[in-house]
Amino acid sequence: MDDMAPVFDALGSASRRRILDIVKARPGSSVGEVAVQFDTSRIAVMHHIRQLEACGLIVSRKEGRTRRLFHNPVPIQLIYDRWTDEYGGFWASKMADVKYALEGRANEHKSDERQTKRHA
Amino acid sequence: MSTRAMKGRRSGMPEHARSDREPTPAEAGVTLISRIVIDASIEDVWREITKTDEPQLAMFGAQMHRLTLDAGSPIQMRTPDGVFTSVVGEILEADPPFRFSHTMKFTAYDDPYCRVTYDLREIEGGVEFTLTSEAVPPGTKTLKAMQRGGDFIVKTLQQVLERGRPATGTRAIYAVMGWVTPFITPKRCKSELWPLEANRG
Repeated sequence: MDDMAPVFDALGSASRRRILDIVKARPGSSVGEVAVQFDTSRIAVMHHIRQLEACGLIVSRKEGRTRRLFHNPVPIQLIYDRWTDEYGGFWASKMADVKYALEGRANEHKSDERQTKRHA
Repeated sequence: MSTRAMKGRRSGMPEHARSDREPTPAEAGVTLISRIVIDASIEDVWREITKTDEPQLAMFGAQMHRLTLDAGSPIQMRTPDGVFTSVVGEILEADPPFRFSHTMKFTAYDDPYCRVTYDLREIEGGVEFTLTSEAVPPGTKTLKAMQRGGDFIVKTLQQVLERGRPATGTRAIYAVMGWVTPFITPKRCKSELWPLEANRG
């Protein structure tokens, strides 16, 4: 079996991607700290966390009575390495930088427009 | 105070990085974890991360220098020609072939010491290798380097042990690093400024 399949399955859910965002932004978050950011039940969030842990995207460790969660970047790095060489990676990264810069500027522009309308 | 803590005080490490006491959230710093499964024997993985007789290809081609594997022994990573020292620290724990832990700081930066631990566990299909970096000072160049370096180290270790050498792109990067290192490395990293005995308690 392709051992990347569980990683793609795990990343196929918006909730699980959001959990990864939360844990990446705050390494060492507890299960409870993650769960409070969702409207769904704690059991449902724990189920998502278990799936992320099973495919290696999250590593947890026990500290006293608290289970702390950490984002493991390696499975996604291995997917990247499989289809991207250093040369392609360089240019893809540059194109992504352009996208982030232009979208950032566009968002700032929208925000300015909203403020102008509010004050008008 | 424990022997480890006393030695740590002499080597300039913050107390939380060398003692068993619980750090406060502010001083605990950032913890980063990178994990991979390597299809190799646990003894081979252990040798690859602790060997001193040749450069460690997973560690950016640097050569490990240490006196012993005992807790308190100084440990350094140097360029293969020995001219520059990139990392200095002190061994905290060596439990062959399961766990290796030491403090570390980059000689190029003024940041405080942090702690790295390598955990090896035999599982079906090979060895689960976990690199944990703890007490990494927030908002520092050290944190950026550790964020970039963690997954690079574990994936290159996998390549070295499973294929016998790093991927082509990594080898090309190492070749370029070999050429430019003498010109871009700060003078403060010269090994003559970081004698191996400096941390010895």
